[in-house]
Amino acid sequence: MNSESFDLPLPPEPPPKALRIGWLDWARNNLFNSVFNGTLTVILTAGMLLLILGVLRFVFSPDRRWEVMPPNAANYVVEAYPRDDLFNMWLSLWIIAALAGVSTASWGMGGQVSVIKVVAAVRAIGATALVVGVLSLWSPAGSATQTVLVWGGVVLFGLGAGAMRLVREEREVSVARVLAIVGALLVGLVWYMPLESGTTWPLTITALVVVAFHWVGKLVGQWLSAQLMKRVITVLWVLSFPVIYLHIQRNPSLVWAEVTPWLPWAGLLIAVGPVVIWVVSRAGREQAAGVNFLLGAVAIYSWVIQWPMAIRVLFLLLTLFSLATPTFAASPRARRAFYWTWLAGGLCTLYFFLMGIGSTDLATRGHFLGGINLTILLAVGGTALSFPLGVMLALGRTSSMPIFRILSIVYIEVVRGVPLITVLFFGDKVIPRFLPPGLDFAGEAKALLAITAFSAAYLAENVRGGLQAVSKGQTEASRALGMTTAQMTMLITLPQALRVVIPALVGQAIALFKDTSLVAIIGLADFLRVARDIVPNQPDSLGSILENLLLAALVYWIFAFSFSRASLRLEKRLGVGTR
Amino acid sequence: MANRPSLASPTRPPLWRNATFLKWAAQIGVLFGVLALGSVLVGEAMANMRAQGLALDWDLLTDPPGIQLGEGIFIKPSTGLEAFYTGAVNMLRVALSGIVAATVVGVIVGIARLSSNWLASRLASVFVESFRNIPVLVQVVFWFFFASTFFPVLEEDSSGPIPGVLLVSRKGVSFAWPFPQETFWQWGAFLVAGLLTARWAYRTRMRRAEELGEDTRPGTWALLAFLAWAVVGWFAHPLAGAIGWLFMLLAASVGAIPVLAYQVILALISLYLGWRWINRFLDSRRSPAGLAKLTDDDYFRMILAGALGAGGAAVLMLLPAATEVGTNVVQYLLEFCDQKFEFLRSGAPLAIGTPSVDVPGRFPQIASTGLTMTPSFFGIWMGVTLYTASFIAEIVRGGILSVPKGQSEAGYALGLRRGQLLRMVILPQAFRVILPPLGNQYLNLSKNTSLGIAVAFPEMVQVGQTMFNQTGDTIQVILIWMAFYLSISLLISVLINYYNRRTQLVER
Amino acid sequence: MDNGAANPIIVCENVKKWFGDFQALRGVTTSVAEGEVVVVIGPSGSGKSTFIRCINRLEQHQEGRIVVAGIELTSDVRNIERIRSEVGMVFQQFNLFPHLTVMQNITLAQVWVRKRSRSDAEERAMALLERVGIPEQAAKYPGQLSGGQQQRVAIARSLAMDPQIMLFDEPTSALDPEMIKEVLEVMQELAGTGMTIVAVTHEMGFAREVANRIVLFDEGQIVEEGPPSEFFANPRHPRTKMFLSQILSH
Ligand SMILES: Nc1ncnc2c1ncn2[C@@H]1O[C@H](COP(=O)(O)OP(=O)(O)OP(=O)(O)O)[C@@H](O)[C@H]1O
Ligand SMILES: [Mg+2]
Repeated sequence: MNSESFDLPLPPEPPPKALRIGWLDWARNNLFNSVFNGTLTVILTAGMLLLILGVLRFVFSPDRRWEVMPPNAANYVVEAYPRDDLFNMWLSLWIIAALAGVSTASWGMGGQVSVIKVVAAVRAIGATALVVGVLSLWSPAGSATQTVLVWGGVVLFGLGAGAMRLVREEREVSVARVLAIVGALLVGLVWYMPLESGTTWPLTITALVVVAFHWVGKLVGQWLSAQLMKRVITVLWVLSFPVIYLHIQRNPSLVWAEVTPWLPWAGLLIAVGPVVIWVVSRAGREQAAGVNFLLGAVAIYSWVIQWPMAIRVLFLLLTLFSLATPTFAASPRARRAFYWTWLAGGLCTLYFFLMGIGSTDLATRGHFLGGINLTILLAVGGTALSFPLGVMLALGRTSSMPIFRILSIVYIEVVRGVPLITVLFFGDKVIPRFLPPGLDFAGEAKALLAITAFSAAYLAENVRGGLQAVSKGQTEASRALGMTTAQMTMLITLPQALRVVIPALVGQAIALFKDTSLVAIIGLADFLRVARDIVPNQPDSLGSILENLLLAALVYWIFAFSFSRASLRLEKRLGVGTR
Repeated sequence: MANRPSLASPTRPPLWRNATFLKWAAQIGVLFGVLALGSVLVGEAMANMRAQGLALDWDLLTDPPGIQLGEGIFIKPSTGLEAFYTGAVNMLRVALSGIVAATVVGVIVGIARLSSNWLASRLASVFVESFRNIPVLVQVVFWFFFASTFFPVLEEDSSGPIPGVLLVSRKGVSFAWPFPQETFWQWGAFLVAGLLTARWAYRTRMRRAEELGEDTRPGTWALLAFLAWAVVGWFAHPLAGAIGWLFMLLAASVGAIPVLAYQVILALISLYLGWRWINRFLDSRRSPAGLAKLTDDDYFRMILAGALGAGGAAVLMLLPAATEVGTNVVQYLLEFCDQKFEFLRSGAPLAIGTPSVDVPGRFPQIASTGLTMTPSFFGIWMGVTLYTASFIAEIVRGGILSVPKGQSEAGYALGLRRGQLLRMVILPQAFRVILPPLGNQYLNLSKNTSLGIAVAFPEMVQVGQTMFNQTGDTIQVILIWMAFYLSISLLISVLINYYNRRTQLVER
Repeated sequence: MDNGAANPIIVCENVKKWFGDFQALRGVTTSVAEGEVVVVIGPSGSGKSTFIRCINRLEQHQEGRIVVAGIELTSDVRNIERIRSEVGMVFQQFNLFPHLTVMQNITLAQVWVRKRSRSDAEERAMALLERVGIPEQAAKYPGQLSGGQQQRVAIARSLAMDPQIMLFDEPTSALDPEMIKEVLEVMQELAGTGMTIVAVTHEMGFAREVANRIVLFDEGQIVEEGPPSEFFANPRHPRTKMFLSQILSH
């Protein structure tokens, strides 16, 4: 406030230079600062060295069969997917890579990291390699391995320690560049690994696609507004998964004769949609309610008399749209947006439906989903599908209407009270009982349903926390402005609630990712099952079960760990962003 | 002007525009929809099952299941009930020992993460980050195969790494353990008396301390009192066998009263409870000015309470079998207790079993062997323990960090050492923060024991799956699972809530 | 000010309201004319907030009748929302939407409730921001504004709905003295335009200068009401005298 200066005698001084303490001082301060701590350090060091030695002896034992892994790479990733059609899988990977590349251009890659940290990481890796290398001299490791570890460690440690003295404190480098270098190293490694033939090039292409689309994203970003760009990319991400799993990987063949009886009707329904929306948005309250009531009645009736499934689903969708129209599509602009949303949504539904009913062309042994591919489908699909259900349950549980509240509470508490495996068994064994005899879903679909139902209950509890954090004043203000309950929920409470619980939701997604491994128990060929049963039971890789399980542990660990780190960063950024 | 209101005729909105009516119509509509969907599905399921020659009955509990279990009380159960009982006991074995072990490991690691020793805190974070980011199922399966393929082969003269104490082999891990003998319950009566005396001694000494203002060593007194009872009981326990007569008497009198009497009494109690709830509720809404206006919610609650009370009474009266089962269980329990006591029955209450895995997978009730873990048990136990410990460590760390810094500064200012500070100031306060999420982890651990199915450990889910593979009674088995796990969840949440409330009361 | 009964826009008859067994309103009967400025005062817990919250049905009265702008407040779904867009309300705690910018705060309800096009709504919002004196803050988030600025945004947000009546519930109690003035000025200007205003406030200066009528609440009922000149100069009821001596003594 007061900008006058009074010329006081003491001018500001620069802070004192940070003291560079030697490693002896450091050890005295952090390892031997008391008798207890000194003893602890000695015991822990001894224990740690023994443990590492034990691990090295285990790893380098001549009994270990690590060599079975590279030839089985395709089994781990896609399991039974026909090897002749592998191009489909590569295409899926490239689509994801392209989207990832464009996204990095739009959202940035986490900004800058100080060079000191990078150099320190190199030094730490070198030191670890050196210690492990020296210890490996007492293990059955081959002399080549020992040499590489020891000398590699010495070189890295030397480089890191040397660079540490040269770089200045404040130098920074972008995270993207560091990741690019690591990526390039990995691609280089791919060329020297004894992988199944025909994988090196596609993997290299994947890396190139990421880079290329990063630049594409930058170029397009110059023409489009950043907000529009982000919206388009988000929609593409959402669409990419059903397109990949239902069309590209499944490779369905449509028998036109089966769909021609109802396809025109479906098209007509989609075309009529905007008219319904127009009528409902222009009509008075009572008339609109009447139209909606009629639509709802027909929608329910269509299930009773069993119209073609696509028509039933589209009709239900149209009813929902029409129900939302009075509150969300009354102004001309919103109405126009609603037309487009309806047309796009209807066509997408129809497209996915057509892809879904066509029988697959692949020459498979009954199923085409497996390995890491299936794990990702279950994790991503489960998270995406459980989100709307979970939000609905949370709204029900916080609702003022007792019956909705009781129904939500019963669902949430029952599901949270039982283990996931019982829910999976429920899906696998009981759902077929509900269906007409002879009809059954694919095991993967049932597992996805069960995982969704399970995850939704946990998600609902997280979202409920967020909803309760929204102050009562917010709802009162929106009511005082004349908003309906639906508008208030969609525009005021939910956006605020979800923002609060983003970290919890990411944690929930990670937990779900780990939980997908349970489908191995009900016999799906997910990554864990490939590693536990399928690969170790092949005649030429018998006796490699522990090795395979360690690989599984490592792969799951890398996914879960990097996600949780990313979510920590997100949490920090959110904490800074909101006031 | 035009909008001059006329107050002459009060306006009532038509039904279809009445907010209250619409609210209830929507709710009842949805409830009806859910019920309709449920009944359609159940009807379909019944029809399907009939077509396959199955029925939704509970014969599977009484019929011989024709299955064999890996370990447990009944390895060859003669009824389905015995099979599930075995599974439940096995599950509880893993859950309880896992909870104890995970708590110990988790607390140590959590405190180590905050240690001023760099190495300790680093190793602790490596522990946490490794074990919580690997799916628990992967860990369970790994430890199982680790035990069954990597441990030493069992041979004639195997005596393990520590002869007489610990034996490690591919057939299992066994260690020395004191087992209760048939006189244990008699000694147990003395132990209970010891606990009560210790409590009484502690309280009186505490009161004296407050009166006299000096240290009266209540802890030592309590311990001594307990030890005295324990030592005396070790020799005098045959006298406590007389308690058996009491149980015999009780069991006989429970059986003597006709079922109808129980039914009527319980039904009356049920009705009374419903009535009392409504009455109390109305009282809470009453004031000198008269009864307050009741909302929809209020009516709903009262109707629900009344319906529950009346429904309970109806079920009790219409289903004498329920009451009969209840009295039978009580009678069985009393008779069971009776058998545990016998006047002047003598012998040492505890005996140390030495490690041996001669009988692989044998469930040692009263055994000369040590406590034995089969590879299956080892796998599920290690898996859930380490996985849960990594989460508990984070909870403990968070709880300790949640205690304001001023507290430790005040403690140091009073001259406490770090250990004392942690034990006397920080942990008691952190405990309040730690408890609710800790309870959640115990729940998760209990539910994760169901992964025993992946390593052929016969807990509830594995037993259930074996059963329905035999009989096809999936729906019944899933209902049994739900009942079992929900009661465990309920039990743990009740306990946690109880402790929570107690610690919060202290706060006030 | 004499047209109190001539052209009433709010009519309350024997309004009663309970919270559980506690009766917050014990039969309130009054009416407010079009263009009238009514200031409600009274001790804490006397039911002032409850009363004005009943007027836009944030609370439901349980007995008696309330008619606002010719529409009776019943559980008729059609009327409730119509009433709410005719009656603006300003809260003690501002209650701005923290996840939206100032501009979005003001346009949101115009677009979704009044069904205006976005450009119209923004134009209206800008005009109102200028009227309350903070056009330059349009792109900021509420958390970045001072309390007085937030309250002025809240007023603009309510005015954007073109209400016939404005309700204020202690709009200045959460503000520092400097900011109180800027908010009161806006309210005074608003009263000058002929807006019907019902305000709960303890700003006696404002009451004296701007109000047409002052209403004293205690224990859920109206103790005394009258034009400020009479009300302050010669209060009739002893309760009024005591209340006035308490608030004017410091
Ligand atoms: N939601 C509620 N539940 C229970 N009691 C309430 C509720 N809202 C208000 N009350 C009670 O009703 C009485 C009147 O409250 P009200 O908020 O109208 O008082 P007020 O005159 O506005 O007081 P203040 O000047 O403190 O704002 C108070 O005793 C209050 O405790
Ligand atoms: Mg108030």
